Amino acid sequence: MTKKILKNDYFIYGLVCFSLFFVPVFLDDPFYINKSSTYICLGLLAVSLSLSWGYTGILNLGNAVFFGLGSYCMAMSLKLKTDAVHTGSGGLPDFMVWNNVEVLPWFWEPFYSLTFGVLAGIFVPVLLAIVLGFFIFRGRIAGVYVAIITLAVMLVVYLIIMDQQRFTGGFNGITDLVMLKVGGLEFDAYGSSAYYLIAAVMTIVIFLSLLITKSRAGLIFQAIRDDENRVRFLGYSVGTYKTAAMCLSAAIAGIAGMLYTIVMEFASPTFLAVPLSLSIVIWCAVGGRQSLLGSFLGAIVITAGQGFLSETETFLHTWTLIMGLVFVLTVLFLPKGIAGAFEKYLR
Amino acid sequence: MDFFISQLISGLSMTSILLMVSLGLAIIYGTTGVINMAHGEFVMIGAYTSWILQTKLGMGLIASIIPIFIITAIMGFLIERLIIRHLYNRLLDTILATWGIGVLLQQLIRLTVGSELKYLKIPPFMAESMNLFGQEVSIYRVFIFLFAVAIFFLAWFIIYKTSFGIKLRAVTQNKDIASCFGINSGVVYSSTFAFGTGIAAVAGAFVAPLKSISPDMGTNYIIDAFMVVVLGGVESLIGTAASSLIIGESSSFLASFSNDTLAKALVLIMIIVILRIKPQGLFTKRIRS
Repeated sequence: MTKKILKNDYFIYGLVCFSLFFVPVFLDDPFYINKSSTYICLGLLAVSLSLSWGYTGILNLGNAVFFGLGSYCMAMSLKLKTDAVHTGSGGLPDFMVWNNVEVLPWFWEPFYSLTFGVLAGIFVPVLLAIVLGFFIFRGRIAGVYVAIITLAVMLVVYLIIMDQQRFTGGFNGITDLVMLKVGGLEFDAYGSSAYYLIAAVMTIVIFLSLLITKSRAGLIFQAIRDDENRVRFLGYSVGTYKTAAMCLSAAIAGIAGMLYTIVMEFASPTFLAVPLSLSIVIWCAVGGRQSLLGSFLGAIVITAGQGFLSETETFLHTWTLIMGLVFVLTVLFLPKGIAGAFEKYLR
Repeated sequence: MDFFISQLISGLSMTSILLMVSLGLAIIYGTTGVINMAHGEFVMIGAYTSWILQTKLGMGLIASIIPIFIITAIMGFLIERLIIRHLYNRLLDTILATWGIGVLLQQLIRLTVGSELKYLKIPPFMAESMNLFGQEVSIYRVFIFLFAVAIFFLAWFIIYKTSFGIKLRAVTQNKDIASCFGINSGVVYSSTFAFGTGIAAVAGAFVAPLKSISPDMGTNYIIDAFMVVVLGGVESLIGTAASSLIIGESSSFLASFSNDTLAKALVLIMIIVILRIKPQGLFTKRIRS
């Protein structure tokens, strides 16, 4: 009986999402509420990789680039809402003044509108995914090359952001952001308001992803993962489906990035650097890449553990060492991660 | 003209470093099909071993080359035997496993040696510069260039002129048939991995005096090295050398018009576009498969 209930994905997913809404009730400390919000954002990032890697077989080693772009879009919008130190309200952001920029660059202009910022946070990553999909999947580049090209693309974006310090804040990123306000609502990063916003978005994203994986398209994604040529012979356009999967993944990563900026109150080039990308892969691999919930919980447990131990540097390094070891062992002995082992047990 | 020659020389210097770093990767990937994401960490380990040998044991850079090669080759051999060996039938997972190994190596160094930057001096007799075609060039860079060429020819000699090389090429072409002819493919794979690791570490030892040594220095090399390998095409030593030259020179000339960072971004974009047109790389041999 319990096994039958546990087998029902909608029930389990609903239960997890529902219980996550109660975190602020038990955690009274603003610091821990803020931390919990960041873990959920990173969990969504893992869901995004699970869709492309676990379900479609696209090993995207540069998944953090979508996250980073989303985060920068949100940060640009929030930055323009601050009372600029030097030029007053609605003026130039402080780092531009420090870098002797006279007028706001054209690509910053539309970000005065928060709606544009939010849309950009989704569609800029999706656009990049479309371009990438055209280059990679139309050219029928597969396997290892996909991994390397995505990694290189992330590096390109990272290098450009670091180099164009005058317009992007470079190494420091975009800091000193204003609190997100929509209508009369204020989303305090250290309060439960932002947490509920994130939990709500999380529930929507996770359930939409679950529905997609159960739909016809989702089945084709999985078929592509298992045998690409067979799907091609059946008459499906594999390149288009792969690009679509990557776009979905990019959109989710972009949303996660935007939420992350809201709770972290800054955007930094480390959001699209190699270490984060590696972490996403580890979360998914350990949690179980072929399960959205497995990846999600994998990310939350691992990052929470990391946050718990990050008080001292030695602990953090030891934790990373252990994670590396767990990762290697999972790859060797549990290719489908913990969720995979769990499903096997349920059968 | 002076400008041209000076960029050409700085490009050659970059080429030699790229060639040294990517040669091991190319040999490992070409033979075993393993994507070794820990390659950058082997470069880093080489730099640290060199630092330990030179500062703690007082050895010279030249004298420490052979110990570095031997120590890291043994390490590579063990890693192949313990981990990589089990993944030959799911090659995509080797990316993950080797990436994990990279994290392990980085953290081990952080916990034992520490995260702070380390510096190594260029050996005194190579610290000066010499006049080359009217340009002042650091002797050390010339030395690295000559050494890279030497390593390249050594690798070529081993692969094409020794009995081990014949076995290696046989296993590369078809592992099963090679095994039928009595070649122990397991030993060939392990030795290839050890050899590639050793070369990477020696490259690290040579690069170390030019830049600082840090636990995450490998990340900077791994993507460059991969770009060299995919652009050059697998299974082709000449391709590796040629694409090192292309990438090194184009980075150097582009950098003179903008800056290092933008040049690097432009070169990466260029390679991605080329791969769209020629997914197999520029210098592939036509083989029946």
